[in-house]
Amino acid sequence: MSGPVLSIRDLTVKVPIDGETRTLIDAVSFDLARGEILGLVGESGSGKSMICRALVKLLPSPAIAITGGTVLLDGKDLATLSEDAMRAVRGAEIGMIFQNPTSHLDPVMRIGDQIAEGIRYHQGFDPREARAAAVEILGQVGFPDPARQYDNYPHEFSGGMRQRAMIAVALSCNPKILIADEPTTALDVTIQAQILRLLMDLRDKRGLSIILITHDLGIVAQTCDSIAVLRNGQLLEHGPKRRVLAEPQHAYTVSLLKSHPSMPEESGGTPLTPAALPIALQPLLEIDDLVVRFPAPGLGIFKKGKTEIAAVNGVSLRIMPGETVGIVGESGSGKSTLARAILGLTPLTSGHVSFAGSDLAQQRRQTLAKLRTEAAMVFQDPYNALNPRLTIGDMLAEVLKVQGNTPAARIPERVGELLDLVELDRAFATRRPRSLSGGQCQRAGIARALAVDPKLIIADECVAALDVTIQAQIIDLFRDLKTRMNLTLLFIAHDLAIVRNLCDRVVVMYRGEIVEEGRCDAVFANPRHAYTAALIGAIPDIDPDKPLPRGDLPPRSEPKAAPVVRGQPLISMQ
Amino acid sequence: MTSALAATRMNVPWSRFLGRHMTLAIGAATLGLFLAVALAAPLISPYDPIYQDAAVRLAMPSLAHPFGTDNFGRDILSRVIWGTRIDLQIAVIGVVFPFLIGTFIGTVAGFFGGIVDTVFMRLVDIILAFPFLVLMLSIIAILGPGLSSFYIAMALVGWVSYARLIRAQMLVLKSSDYAVAAVSLGFSRARIMFRHLLPNAVAGSIVFSMSDAVLVLLNGAAISYLGLGVQPPVAEWGVMVAEGQSFITTAWWITLFPGLSIVVLAFGFSLLGDGLGEWLGVNE
Repeated sequence: MSGPVLSIRDLTVKVPIDGETRTLIDAVSFDLARGEILGLVGESGSGKSMICRALVKLLPSPAIAITGGTVLLDGKDLATLSEDAMRAVRGAEIGMIFQNPTSHLDPVMRIGDQIAEGIRYHQGFDPREARAAAVEILGQVGFPDPARQYDNYPHEFSGGMRQRAMIAVALSCNPKILIADEPTTALDVTIQAQILRLLMDLRDKRGLSIILITHDLGIVAQTCDSIAVLRNGQLLEHGPKRRVLAEPQHAYTVSLLKSHPSMPEESGGTPLTPAALPIALQPLLEIDDLVVRFPAPGLGIFKKGKTEIAAVNGVSLRIMPGETVGIVGESGSGKSTLARAILGLTPLTSGHVSFAGSDLAQQRRQTLAKLRTEAAMVFQDPYNALNPRLTIGDMLAEVLKVQGNTPAARIPERVGELLDLVELDRAFATRRPRSLSGGQCQRAGIARALAVDPKLIIADECVAALDVTIQAQIIDLFRDLKTRMNLTLLFIAHDLAIVRNLCDRVVVMYRGEIVEEGRCDAVFANPRHAYTAALIGAIPDIDPDKPLPRGDLPPRSEPKAAPVVRGQPLISMQ
Repeated sequence: MTSALAATRMNVPWSRFLGRHMTLAIGAATLGLFLAVALAAPLISPYDPIYQDAAVRLAMPSLAHPFGTDNFGRDILSRVIWGTRIDLQIAVIGVVFPFLIGTFIGTVAGFFGGIVDTVFMRLVDIILAFPFLVLMLSIIAILGPGLSSFYIAMALVGWVSYARLIRAQMLVLKSSDYAVAAVSLGFSRARIMFRHLLPNAVAGSIVFSMSDAVLVLLNGAAISYLGLGVQPPVAEWGVMVAEGQSFITTAWWITLFPGLSIVVLAFGFSLLGDGLGEWLGVNE
């Protein structure tokens, strides 16, 4: 490594709001060496994306402006460069990739053309040369058959391949610096490992410098050379990875490290042993050979009859009262469909679901009535799960009123108690979801689930959309609630570390089937199925000395009912 | 959106609110002005709108008759002022009933889907297949000319746009997590439809109803112009334009002032619609 490629000094970004000026980035300085991977870590709103947007001057609104500082790229100060000059820098010297590859790729343009376009524009190649160069880049980012795949459209690829394509687009002009803004957050954990590995390979081969924005310290520990911790637009800590991880200087960094789920917890880390288990012989929930099929997407012009896709394919599961069961699997594995089928929100194709002794297929009315009053669901996206027009208090009061177990006069008091239960201040009763943070919204969502006084709560990826420290708080809340209220909890997640922390038992789903189930500690220590092992192995550990696994899946046995088009995930039920 | 509304009401002083929502403010002010004129018509109109004074037929605008007089010697200013009552009524009633009917049908069709949806949406297609005015005219011809026929025809034909708008919103909203949550909590369908989903779906239609009011106003004027709406001698802008037509080359003021009133009122509605859209965040 030689001198810095990029040198940022006192970068300040401000925005005027309501007459006052708010500082979004507060005098941030750091250097990026050639071939260095810098991890920018912080929670949402910490300004990590804003810094990178400021570097290429793609600020989200014209009101937001760089008010001070210098951004030196090879001696040029980007902060004072004109828009025309900036255009030559973007792409050619600094490439960017984003969290959601689907929305950043042009859906009506062939993958290869999107790469070739940049090459032609920035390097002045003719179309034939550009195509050859694009094919080569596609090969470099791991497309198995680049010459043929050049002509495919983005929708023909899976999420992981699209992210590879985005990286290829960013690399097309041979940039010196690659900014990767949460590049793997939307991806499954095994795919994430592959993409991270690709980024590291590219660094080694091309001497690329990478700024990796992420909220996951595990990723940083595995891939980065140095770490910069941001909070409220300020750079709290910046240093080599090992030093920051081993001896964090700032209290905030310490708390971030602590809330990483792969850290062993000092207390309460071992899942609670369900002492009451042997007493209850009757399972609360019994699923027997459940199959849920959907009509396949797309027009079946060339096929006769309807193609169906089995989202859940022959699942059997028993859950005892008071148990906490985690269901893990990647997107498209049928976890959410299973959850909705259990609650009677999706029609069952065949098989049985029985809740507290009554069968959903045979006594539908009766069972549904039971489910509606004794089971509740917590959703993934806390904002989408709450009616934006109702205050939290109105929303809870309505549930209590409809459920009809609380006398009208006692409802306001009960709303207060529910807010206490989820550790929300009672003043939140008058607020609407939009004025709440994600974590607060999720607490309100949990309060709504508790309002029915449920025996069973199904939490569907309920922390996936939250920052790590908030995740840890919500998990603590669940742990606390289930002991206090003797809840049965079905916890669906793609994050294995969280499941390991919270659950007694884990069920691993793959392509609509249960491939492994057992006590949490046993499964994590000794995965018997190759898929489980791959899932566990792909979690980036916060210990930098544990190597990042390859994230390769076991050779898949093609399921009978699932026609898969070019490696697309089955269906995303989220 | 209501939260934004409430927040605006609570925290932001009126002056700043108006500064930020100029379109809304100008639109509301224009409509307010017309409303005031309509309410105060008996007080501010200088003459009886249907009193005929043969001595001042086709008089140029002057101090005595600021907007001039028509071929019967009626004062145009007074007629424009009294016409405000009728034309505002046309715009409001002509929008309210299609809005209510369309919203209800759209909600039900979008929420239930399946056969209900198919039936209503094919009905919408059938109505849309006819040219709008032709359909209006045939209904009014069956019912007999007059304002109430016009309102009935509007209600029968105008709901389709609202039904489509709301249905599209409902299709999106019914798969939102809070709708699923409401089902899982045992809420009745009616409650989910009307209390949870409809308030979230309706903002776009409210904005549309403002531009629709413009169209209704012009339709009302057109129908009256054709002699099927408001009957003479009642003062209504469309009728006045029609009556002034034969004198357009010699007495331009007979058509100009009522025509201008239509334009300004339409302008007010359309500004209000844009402003509401901005304010309710419909385009976000």
